[in-house]
Amino acid sequence: MGALHLSHDVIDAQLVDRQQEKIGRIDELLLELEDGQPPRVATIVIGGVARARRVGRWMLALHRAVHALFGHREEQESRVPFDAVRRIGDTIELDVEGDTLASMRLERWLATHIVLRIPGGSGERK
Amino acid sequence: MSGRTVALSDLLGRVVRDADGRKIGRIEELNAEISLEQGGSDYLVTGFSVGRFGPFDVIATGNFVQQLVRRITRATGYRRYEIPWDCMDLSDPARPRALRREHELPRAG
Amino acid sequence: MKKWAEVALGVVTSIGGFLEVGSIATSAQGGAEFGYQLAWVLVLGTMSLAILMEMTGRLAAVSQRTYADLLRERFGYRFFLLPLVAVFVVSLLVVISEIGGVSIALQIATGIDFRWWAIPTAIVGWFLLWRGNFTIVEQGTAMLGLVAISFAVGALKLHPVWPTLGRAMLPSLPSHDRARYWYLAVSILGASISPYLYLFYSAGAIEDEWTIEHLGVNRVTAGMGNVFGGGLAIATLVTAALVLAPREIKVDRYEQIALVLATPLGRAGLVFFIMTLFITCFGATLEIVLAMAYLLAQGLGWNWSENLKPDKDARFATSYSVLILLAALPIAIGMDPLTLTNISMVATAASLPVTVIPLFVLMNDGDLLNTHVNGWPSNLALVVIALLSIVLLVAALPLQLLGGG
Repeated sequence: MGALHLSHDVIDAQLVDRQQEKIGRIDELLLELEDGQPPRVATIVIGGVARARRVGRWMLALHRAVHALFGHREEQESRVPFDAVRRIGDTIELDVEGDTLASMRLERWLATHIVLRIPGGSGERK
Repeated sequence: MSGRTVALSDLLGRVVRDADGRKIGRIEELNAEISLEQGGSDYLVTGFSVGRFGPFDVIATGNFVQQLVRRITRATGYRRYEIPWDCMDLSDPARPRALRREHELPRAG
Repeated sequence: MKKWAEVALGVVTSIGGFLEVGSIATSAQGGAEFGYQLAWVLVLGTMSLAILMEMTGRLAAVSQRTYADLLRERFGYRFFLLPLVAVFVVSLLVVISEIGGVSIALQIATGIDFRWWAIPTAIVGWFLLWRGNFTIVEQGTAMLGLVAISFAVGALKLHPVWPTLGRAMLPSLPSHDRARYWYLAVSILGASISPYLYLFYSAGAIEDEWTIEHLGVNRVTAGMGNVFGGGLAIATLVTAALVLAPREIKVDRYEQIALVLATPLGRAGLVFFIMTLFITCFGATLEIVLAMAYLLAQGLGWNWSENLKPDKDARFATSYSVLILLAALPIAIGMDPLTLTNISMVATAASLPVTVIPLFVLMNDGDLLNTHVNGWPSNLALVVIALLSIVLLVAALPLQLLGGG
């Protein structure tokens, strides 16, 4: 069982869903602190805002500006409870359906509105 | 007993001071273990690895420089402390404080 | 038996992939202005690239993750932005130059102004990426790229002075135009050691499903492929040294480089030059655009693969599509391809530290590589290359200003 190293093994790790499809990376980990208790690894955050925040305030402002330009109103960030983790290895497997994640919105939007409108975008393996 | 939420990135790289207020290093790693008690399956942080990089400490705030320095130089006073969770005061997450004095803290091999 | 076929294919891929607009332009300029003298820079560049490629290949085969994956995983998002931005800026400059190379080749062939060819080139390239798989892209362009052997043929027909060429493989100082000499040295290194090459190679190792069993294939592919490829670049330098230098022709247009093949090989030489320029630059365009999309997708955790239909990796497919079309625009509006090439080569040389130094950390990580971590000779080589990259970073801007001609 052994120790889980949060910086080395968890944050920035590749995430895969139930179907072993890549669904992003762990962009942030939220810990719950309670007096007299060890900190609990609570939530996995996937999304551009979390990434931008890690870089700095200026990056966050830039990120917000760019998204305002594109007129994004819906949430693009996913928060997944850490207990959805099924397996930790080279990748971290989550017990979720990638299609339901808010952070996969751009992927879905591009797939339906752009890719599938262009011939050759879908079908059997290349 | 208020529950506060803190982001991991806000803890990594933070300067840690000991009970006397002396700077002892920066948080390099949080080590967690799964706790199976009461049928739960939560990962709980058991301890903090705090690294002191000697003269390189000023620039060793990020993962990359820390790893680079560790790889190249063993002899620049690099030291690591393993501080158990109950010896770390995170009431101000931006200013973590160890609850013991530096020489009382467990060192890593 | 199958292993040997893989090895042969890998070597061919590297040969075909080595020569492209940057190598052709910088080697030709080097030969035209300094004869054989800069050959040692090509030797240095080729050896450095071979070492870097072997390492990123080994990294992927053993850890089952690409170099781009590991830049994010091991160093965090904040650090990752450094190589991401550096590689993107520099690679964009290079791929614009490659489209320039294709456009010039078509201009020479048809007489139609190069500006008209930029967007059609991008569209055809996009189509190949959209419909083709990794094998087609990698091996197709590599096989066709073998037409670059015409430079070796041309060089041999010009009867180079072998002892002088041999001596030129060792470093030497210039007797005239010092700033220009070192400027060209830096550009040649930038053309030889391009981050997109070893990033693409690392991603390719995962696309081709390499494992620990492929470490031998990796060594041979990275080693021999680049040796042969570097040989072609040296052949280009030699032809320029023997054709352009005696006539004191300084290269300021691509058409002049055609002379280095037209002189020994006549009409056929011109045809081979056009084909080589067209095919190698086109192949490089696809490779660079893919390398950039790989870097973005892997760093951000998207689904990616040239073997997947675009609807399965929409963000990845959209990325390379946008990039290739974007790269055509500067050429379409008439920016000078040769000037762009020269600038992009020096910029590449200057960008090397952010992709070379992290490799040093990763290649010594026992968790990633187990027993396949670098031994001391590999580490020594990598440290030398890292120091070289820092020298290039410092020298690039001054030399561009003093020797940029």
